[in-house]
Amino acid sequence: MKDFIKVENVSFRYDSNDTVNKYVLNDISLNINKGEFVALLGHNGCGKSTMAKLLNAMLLPEKGKVFVNGLDTSEPDVSYDVRKTVGLVLQNPDNQLVASIVEEDVAFGPENLGIEPDEIRRRVDEALKAVDMYEYRAHAPYKLSGGQKQRVAIAGIIAMQPQCLVLDEPTAMLDPKGRDEVMATIKKLNREKGITIVLITHYMDEAVQADRVVVMDSGKILTQGSPREVFSEVELLKRHRLDVPQATELMYRLVGMGFPAESLPLDEDECIDRLSKILK
Amino acid sequence: MNVIETENLSFVYGQGTPFEKTANDRLNIQIKEGEFVGIIGHTGSGKSTLVQMLNGLIKPTSGTIRLEGTDIWQSPKEIRKIRFKVGLVFQYPEYQLFEETVEKDIAYGPRNMGLSEGDIRERVISAARFSGLRSELLSKSPFDLSGGEKRRAAIAGVIAMDPDVLILDEPTAGLDPAGRDVLLAQISQYHKERKNTVLLVSHSMEDIAKTADRILVMNRGRAEMLEDTRTVFSRGEELEKMGLRVPQITKIMSGLQKRGFDVPSGILTVEQAAGVLAAYRGRSV
Amino acid sequence: MLKDVTLGQFLPGVSPIHRLDPRAKILFLIALIVFIFITSNYISLALVAAFIVALVFMTRIPVKMYLKSMKMILFIVLFTGIINLFYGRGEPLVKIGFLQITEAGINNAVFVAVRIAVLILASSMLTFTTSPTDLTDALERLLKPLTVFHIKVHEIAMMMTIALRFVPTLLEETDKIMSAQKARGADMESGNLIKRIKALIPVLIPLFVSAFRRAEELATAMECRCYQGGSGRTRMKRLHFGKADLYGLAACLLVLCGVIICNIFLPATVR
Repeated sequence: MKDFIKVENVSFRYDSNDTVNKYVLNDISLNINKGEFVALLGHNGCGKSTMAKLLNAMLLPEKGKVFVNGLDTSEPDVSYDVRKTVGLVLQNPDNQLVASIVEEDVAFGPENLGIEPDEIRRRVDEALKAVDMYEYRAHAPYKLSGGQKQRVAIAGIIAMQPQCLVLDEPTAMLDPKGRDEVMATIKKLNREKGITIVLITHYMDEAVQADRVVVMDSGKILTQGSPREVFSEVELLKRHRLDVPQATELMYRLVGMGFPAESLPLDEDECIDRLSKILK
Repeated sequence: MNVIETENLSFVYGQGTPFEKTANDRLNIQIKEGEFVGIIGHTGSGKSTLVQMLNGLIKPTSGTIRLEGTDIWQSPKEIRKIRFKVGLVFQYPEYQLFEETVEKDIAYGPRNMGLSEGDIRERVISAARFSGLRSELLSKSPFDLSGGEKRRAAIAGVIAMDPDVLILDEPTAGLDPAGRDVLLAQISQYHKERKNTVLLVSHSMEDIAKTADRILVMNRGRAEMLEDTRTVFSRGEELEKMGLRVPQITKIMSGLQKRGFDVPSGILTVEQAAGVLAAYRGRSV
Repeated sequence: MLKDVTLGQFLPGVSPIHRLDPRAKILFLIALIVFIFITSNYISLALVAAFIVALVFMTRIPVKMYLKSMKMILFIVLFTGIINLFYGRGEPLVKIGFLQITEAGINNAVFVAVRIAVLILASSMLTFTTSPTDLTDALERLLKPLTVFHIKVHEIAMMMTIALRFVPTLLEETDKIMSAQKARGADMESGNLIKRIKALIPVLIPLFVSAFRRAEELATAMECRCYQGGSGRTRMKRLHFGKADLYGLAACLLVLCGVIICNIFLPATVR
């Protein structure tokens, strides 16, 4: 489905009486299709976290509109339905778990929705299985690793059966193993359950795995497209002090040194293949 | 000369309880004066315990640590002095800020050392400069700073003690690429100017490759390798068995090597790799 | 160091006591406390104590754990016991200066000490065998009738749940901040009381700041999960008042009868 989420000319600032401070988001427009995996890239303060909160009606636009499944988020009394549709996972897993037992935490969302106990049980089990944390259902969250906690947090949202999952730097506080676990979970949810994913990150190796990369800077969209299209704009990304995968950067430099130009590789295997051909 | 030397250094958590766990197992490590050493290892490999032992926050279960030749636990009452000599910056150090102003917060360490007001002031200013903190921020409340500035203020608080050895545990965790690059450059600059010993714990192999002279690889509480950066990263397969990776650029070059191209191993930066490959193509054309 | 606290800890298990309805367990605890305070002679005291000890064995939790939790309160038990020792009226048995020990004093001391000890034992039994979430859940359901008097039972229970969830997190954080300040030369082990309290400021301020930050993020996360207070909320877990709970009720009633009979037919030792 096209236009599942529509952000139309949205401007936003945290203090609307403040005439000095500039807008965090500035006349920004973005469409997200159903089932899509979108990575939102940009450095701190570029407005990506604000964007995340606009998508599930935690914040409302000052100018412009956000539509989720046709619902205007600024209408009164829709926030509940919007949040049921678009779930938000935050950066610090420690601060989003409510209960002292994994399965009870996952049940928190469905309980708030007033669902029947047997149905909650079914959803909780299903959500925990989807993030590979079912064996830990009776554990205390504080004894889990960062990656495990974050997966429990994701399960807590999944149990509400949203159509879209927005994740605000879910891997920023995790070690490489935790990051891999969370990324694998996100991709699995996108592929197997068809859940739309909006992943906010500043890790390029994560953005590369998305269908579409949207780069934000100072409250605006700098560029967007497939990972290949976006990362081939090495010059632009560097100028805005964003990372490019080393494989891409190497090829970019070599092209500058007279190597034959083609589209730039995104990962090491592709880069090795390309170089082998050229150097043979 | 070795600034730090450990001999059969071990630490066991909860000794004598059913939850007994060996965090460090007979470590014998030598760190030379003025070196920049990267410490890598996955979570739970014993890195954190090791660095906390090196500055006397945790007392070893057995074995000794010598700082400039003397056992740091020779007189346990003097252990605070060791902490001034071996400065430790914890992960997410911004959560330790507490004073009314940034200046006072940076001065906390030097003040605990019993320095004169004049010396303290001097140290605060120089530490702020080293960590790239603009001087107008000194009079602000630390809680009004941005995330990256808070991090730098906290690091300045340790640098201000002018330690002989500076240990940083994941100083770039959670920062965006721009913030990370600035901070790493600052640390390298500090190391170059002060010629102090720096130990950097990190999960980011790219960060380590950019900064470290040598790398200590920890795995299951043991010191698996302590060698120069190129040597360690050219042993990519061993690292992968320990759940660690090498920088992407190093991996690309060793991949080419495996396919029969005669390129050197242990390439650490994109610049190096580009240079090597351009020369290679020049030769073969 | 901070994690060695056994009091209030939950020890998962499958004993008959573990499986009781948490609401029943709270009511039983209240009953036991009432029993122990209405006992007026050694026979009834022994009866209640024996009942509780029997229950303790039924939990299949090592007695060592109970002793550990008693150890923390031992000082209070001894202190109140000794105070009571000198408090009795009547013919003095021993006289030390202006202090005198009487038979009534000894009786008082024994009763107070045993009562406190049994109280600790019984409450430990409840917390050892019931998960904190079950406990707050049960409290919320038991206290539900109070909503009639505009008491926010759900909100109170929610706060308890969250507090329980964040206790380990904040303890860990305290340890971390203390280490970080020690690394900057903080001296928390020496000096007089005032100096030590002052040395805690660098730990307490960051801890408060972090607690507020966590609270704010948690509030956002809860809102994202459609939390709107207690109304319209359902619960995953259903509580069942089963056969075992009936047996427990019967046992409690028996002990109650025993205590009352003892109190009526035997002379009172205290008060």
